[in-house]
Amino acid sequence: VILLTNQLKMGKGFGNLAYVRNQIWFTLSPYEQRPFAKAIKTGLPNTLRRITEEAPYVLPPLLLGYAIYSWTTSEAHRRSRKEYQAIHGGGH
Amino acid sequence: MTFRKSHPLIKIVNSTLVDLPSPANLSVNWNYGSLLGLVLVIQLVSGIVLATRFSGHSDISFDSVISIYQDSNYGWLLRLVHSTGASFFFLFIYLHIGRGLYYGSYIYPEVWNIGVLIYLILMGTAFLGYVLPWGQMSYWAATVITNLLSAIPWLGSILVEWVWGGFAVGNPTLTRFFALHYLLPFVVTALVILHIFYLHLYGSSNPLGVSSNTNKVSFHYYYSVKDLYVYFVFFFIFMFFTLKYGYSFMDAENFIPANPLVTPTHIQPEWYFLFAYAILRSIPNKLGGVLGLVLAVMVLFLFSISSTQLLFSGTIYSPLARLTFWSLVSVFFLLTWLGSCPAESPYTEVALASTIAYFSLMVIMCVWPHVSTYLYLKS
Repeated sequence: VILLTNQLKMGKGFGNLAYVRNQIWFTLSPYEQRPFAKAIKTGLPNTLRRITEEAPYVLPPLLLGYAIYSWTTSEAHRRSRKEYQAIHGGGH
Repeated sequence: MTFRKSHPLIKIVNSTLVDLPSPANLSVNWNYGSLLGLVLVIQLVSGIVLATRFSGHSDISFDSVISIYQDSNYGWLLRLVHSTGASFFFLFIYLHIGRGLYYGSYIYPEVWNIGVLIYLILMGTAFLGYVLPWGQMSYWAATVITNLLSAIPWLGSILVEWVWGGFAVGNPTLTRFFALHYLLPFVVTALVILHIFYLHLYGSSNPLGVSSNTNKVSFHYYYSVKDLYVYFVFFFIFMFFTLKYGYSFMDAENFIPANPLVTPTHIQPEWYFLFAYAILRSIPNKLGGVLGLVLAVMVLFLFSISSTQLLFSGTIYSPLARLTFWSLVSVFFLLTWLGSCPAESPYTEVALASTIAYFSLMVIMCVWPHVSTYLYLKS
C-alpha cells in the first residue's frame, strides 16, 4: 500500500469526514430527556422482536449441529456394545 | 492548540483514544478489539513476571512451575491468570473474527491481513507456551505438532531435527521454545499497532455496513467509557473463571512430568486448537492432513482478495449469507468437539464430513459478496 502524505494524518478527522449540505438534524439534548425512558415497556418487546427476527437464521444450523452431535454420541455408544462388535468385529 | 493535540507523542494517543471519529452505532461486537488489547497486556505482564521464576531446562522446568505455585508470592494466581488469559485471548479473537466475517470487515484488506497474521502468530505463541511446563501433554503435543513438519517433501525430516535441536523433542527444544514464546508476543504487539494504524486510516466499520462519515462521535467519552464498562464485566467473568474454575481448561495429563517412554492415551491440544486438530486427523493422508490444518486458518486470507471492489460485504443484507455464517459457527463447534473425541468410527466419518462442510462454507462466504456485486452491477 502506498501511503499518501494526507493518510499519515491518521485518516479523516472531524471536519474532513463528509460533504453534507441542506440537511437539518433535530435532536434532544441529553440533559432534556430521561435516560431510561420506556426501557422496559418498549425496550423489552423490542429486544424480543430483535431476537425472534434473527432466530430463523441462528437456530436451524445450531440445532442441526446439536442433532449431529447427539446422533454421533449415541452411535458411538451403540458401536461399543458387545452385540454390535460380535456382528461387525470389535477392536481397533 | 490544546496540549493533547500539539505534543508530538501525546497527539498520537489523542488521535487513537480521545478525538478519534467513531461511528455512533457501534455494538458490543466492536468491543472485542479493545478486550484483546487488554488481554494482551495481561498476558505480557503475567508472563514476564512468571518468567522471572520459571526455569527453561527440561530437568527442572516442571519443578519450577510447582515452585511458582508453592514458594512465590501469589505465584499460583499468576499462573492461573496466564493460562486462563490464553483461553480468553482465543475466545475474544474468535468472536472478533466472527464479527469480521458477519459484518464484512475484510473490505479493509491491510487491516484484515495483518489481523490474520496476528492470529497465526498467536497460535504459534500459545503452542510454544503450552510446551514450557514440560508435562506429559506439553511433551507429546510438541512431538505431534513438530512431527507434522516431516510431511513436507524432501526437506521434512531435516527441518524437524533442526526445530528439535536433536533427534527427538528434548531440552534444546524446550530452551528455544521458551526464547520464542518470550519473543513472539512483542511481534504480536507491533502487529497490533500496525493493525490499529491501518484501521484508523479508514475508520471503523459499523453494524449497518454503510458509511458512517455523516454520523460520528468522538471516541472519548462514548467508547472509552463503554470499553471501560466491558473491561469491568470481563474482569468479573475472568476472575470468576480463574479463581473457581482455573483448572477446568487444563488437561489432567499435564500434571504428570514429561515421560518420553509413556504416550498418553488421548493426546489433544487445548480447546482453541481442537477444530484445526479435528481437520488434521480427519484427512487420512499425512501431508493432506497438514495442508488441511494450515488451510483451515489460511483460508481467511482469501476474504481480502479484491475486497475493495465489493459493493456488498458481510452477511447483514443477505439472508443466505447469514444462514451460511451460522452454519459455519455450528460446524466450528462440531469440529471443536470432534477434536476431543477418539480417532475412531463414527467420529472419523463425521469429522471428515465436517471438514468438507467447513471449507465449503468458508468458500461460499468468501465468494458470495463477489457474486452479489457482479449480479447488482450486471443489472
